Amino acid sequence: MEFTIGLVAAILGSALATGLACAGSAIGIGIVGQTAAGVVSEDPDKFGPTILLQALPGTQGIYGLLIGFLILQRTGVLGGNIVELSILQGVAVLFSALPIAIVGYYSAIAQGKAAAGGVLLIAKRPEELGKGIIYAAMVETYAVFALLMSIMILFNIQF
Amino acid sequence: MGIAKMNKLYLVAHQAEKDKVLAILQQLGVLEVSDLQAKDVEGQAWAEMVEEDQEREALQSLEARLADLRFALDFLHRYYPAKKSLLAALNDSKMVVESAQLNSNASEWDRVSTNVHAALRKIDGKLMLLRNDETRLQNLKIQLTPWAKLDVPLEEIKATTVVRTELGTLPAAELGQIGEELAAAAPACYLQEINNDRGESFVFVLYHISSADDVQSVLKQHNFNKQNFPQLQGTTAENLKRIEQELAKAESERKATLAGAAEQLKYRDQLNYFLDYLTLERDKKQVVSNLARTGKAFILEGWICQADLAGLRKKLAVACETVEVFVREPEENELFPVMLENKPIFAPFEFVTKLYGIPGPRGLDPTPFLAPFWFVFFGLCMTDAGYGVAIVLLASLGLLKVKGEAVRKLLWVLFAGGFSTIVFGWLLGGWFGLELFGAPLVFNPLLDPMPMLTYALILGVFQIFFGMAIQFVRLLKQGRVFDALADVGLWYVLIIGLLMHIAPGMAGVAKTMSLIGAAGLVLTQGRTQPTIVKKLLSGVLSLYNITGYLSDVLSYSRLLALGLATGVIAIAINTMAGLLQGSPFLFVPMVILLIVGHTFNLVINTLGSYIHSSRLQYIEFYSRFYEGGGRRFVPFQLKTRHLEVNPEWSKTS
Repeated sequence: MEFTIGLVAAILGSALATGLACAGSAIGIGIVGQTAAGVVSEDPDKFGPTILLQALPGTQGIYGLLIGFLILQRTGVLGGNIVELSILQGVAVLFSALPIAIVGYYSAIAQGKAAAGGVLLIAKRPEELGKGIIYAAMVETYAVFALLMSIMILFNIQF
Repeated sequence: MGIAKMNKLYLVAHQAEKDKVLAILQQLGVLEVSDLQAKDVEGQAWAEMVEEDQEREALQSLEARLADLRFALDFLHRYYPAKKSLLAALNDSKMVVESAQLNSNASEWDRVSTNVHAALRKIDGKLMLLRNDETRLQNLKIQLTPWAKLDVPLEEIKATTVVRTELGTLPAAELGQIGEELAAAAPACYLQEINNDRGESFVFVLYHISSADDVQSVLKQHNFNKQNFPQLQGTTAENLKRIEQELAKAESERKATLAGAAEQLKYRDQLNYFLDYLTLERDKKQVVSNLARTGKAFILEGWICQADLAGLRKKLAVACETVEVFVREPEENELFPVMLENKPIFAPFEFVTKLYGIPGPRGLDPTPFLAPFWFVFFGLCMTDAGYGVAIVLLASLGLLKVKGEAVRKLLWVLFAGGFSTIVFGWLLGGWFGLELFGAPLVFNPLLDPMPMLTYALILGVFQIFFGMAIQFVRLLKQGRVFDALADVGLWYVLIIGLLMHIAPGMAGVAKTMSLIGAAGLVLTQGRTQPTIVKKLLSGVLSLYNITGYLSDVLSYSRLLALGLATGVIAIAINTMAGLLQGSPFLFVPMVILLIVGHTFNLVINTLGSYIHSSRLQYIEFYSRFYEGGGRRFVPFQLKTRHLEVNPEWSKTS
């Protein structure tokens, strides 16, 4: 494998998308977990619904992983047929990672807070789980948009 | 279809038949009993004749029995938790009882549970005593342990006529100084350090009675903390040994006592049944507080679904002699509880509707409208035929096993979603990320996402237009023709005009249409304002809502993004597994990676697809026409967890 500046820039994009989005998800899931543990200490039967809410901020990590994977695949780092990238092409690929890297990180944390609120909601009103989920899912919309834009940029760079 | 027609029902009967009437109502479960408080009665012709009814004593005694029963069940649960698998918990297998036999069964359960409760109370008392004993022994042990090396029997630590002996603690750092001071102040004194722990010296002091004051004053200066073991005999070591033995004895006694509780475990089912029975009885007594009564009769008010009315009348006529039922339609602005009624094909989607809330009594049940959209959206969010097959299979399995009504609805919704996933997976995606049966029939969004984005947005425009059409028809039905034309029709004109700009060769028409629409909105949207200036201002500001339509349409791009995500993650899992291919040693890890990976992807994407398909209904679709604020219809019915009561008439009908 011959490394060029363009290729390394693309790999940096892959690393940022995965690393930042996963870090955000980890923080978000941690926030929900703390709240959930407190609620479950009162009522162990709420483990099921709280774990559902805890899973919600995890999707940003998956989206980040997805973009990271797509970048490695498109540039041929995965699979072995390395694409020759100019510096500008490599930087463009790096930029394609930024939407999901930035939004993934912040939205996962925000979603974690909303989901933690949802956990408190079901602590008092277990029948309202659906509403708690929807509140958290409202945040996720923006991670989905960022993912979409990352995909669009990545797929429309010609090389 | 949609929101069920409710009727208000008044029922008058003789007090002697109250229990019978309530039992029938509870078993039928079709009537929501309203609270007939004084304010509701006011204005009625019979207001003067009635007072509030209640059976406080019967209710209290039932509550007391329930508390006893819960104590027994909690006690058993604390020491012997009932293990239930997830499926069993969903399944709720109940014991079936004929209502005619309920009372005779109940007297048996009553006898059993009284015995169990008495036995468990006794065991609980004994456990408490044992716990107190153990605490006392543990404390003594902690006190005695530092003195373990003292070989003087504890009963000899006391004052005689000439000598005093004492045990106590002193600061270890000052011990040398204390020795010197004692030697100076009272020569007839002996001080020995027995133990030294955490800066404290545990000392034995012996002195002649004549120097008691001197010794005491020195010790006092150094914070001597005297310790007494008045009731103990023998050396410390002997005592510690005895305490250990007693603790062990208490522990074994505790185990034996708990074993006694285990004997009661076999009655747990009967206790649960009795809990259900008592709860049913309690519910009946609780309802009484909603009634009003005269000397000999009682009156009950409630809501009933029109369709259930005939059945109720028939049952009451067969069983009772004095019952009179009066029914009327809800009044103009009267709020009645809402029950959703839909054709079997749409009914499961009530689950999606209820997740958001209940529509208002004079609103519209959105279930049949959202169902087809939800179906398509779920499939597009998943877009993998293999996962579709998995969802269909899992949902079918669940439907075979699970009986709970709400869970069954969810499973039917997922079943439909799985079916939709197969269709869209076939058209636009793969099978577990692979192209098992050749390329997707239509095109592959992974290679060319742009057309898919367009289709997603077109779907969005279509659903939003559809929601506007619903509102248009609603307004027309209410006779608000101008509102329909101004608030919905003009938006149609404006948005269609704007959209036509994209189409080639239509620019002229598009421009005219959007201008007409915009002008119309400016002129009409401020019509509720008082002055001309405010009217125009509100009209102009209303154009700002165009951004709302724009963002709502863009929101449908998630259909593409989520669909791509499922496919790409599946491919990623396959690629990673592919790296392990080739070596026979890595075959097992490869299979495990494939199974775990695809299961994970399936679960997380099913959850995501469910949430986002629902969200598009709630936020983008509902905002066009939905009117919420309804109250759920909660009939007075048999609420049980372990019993299934078959009403008397179930055999005959």
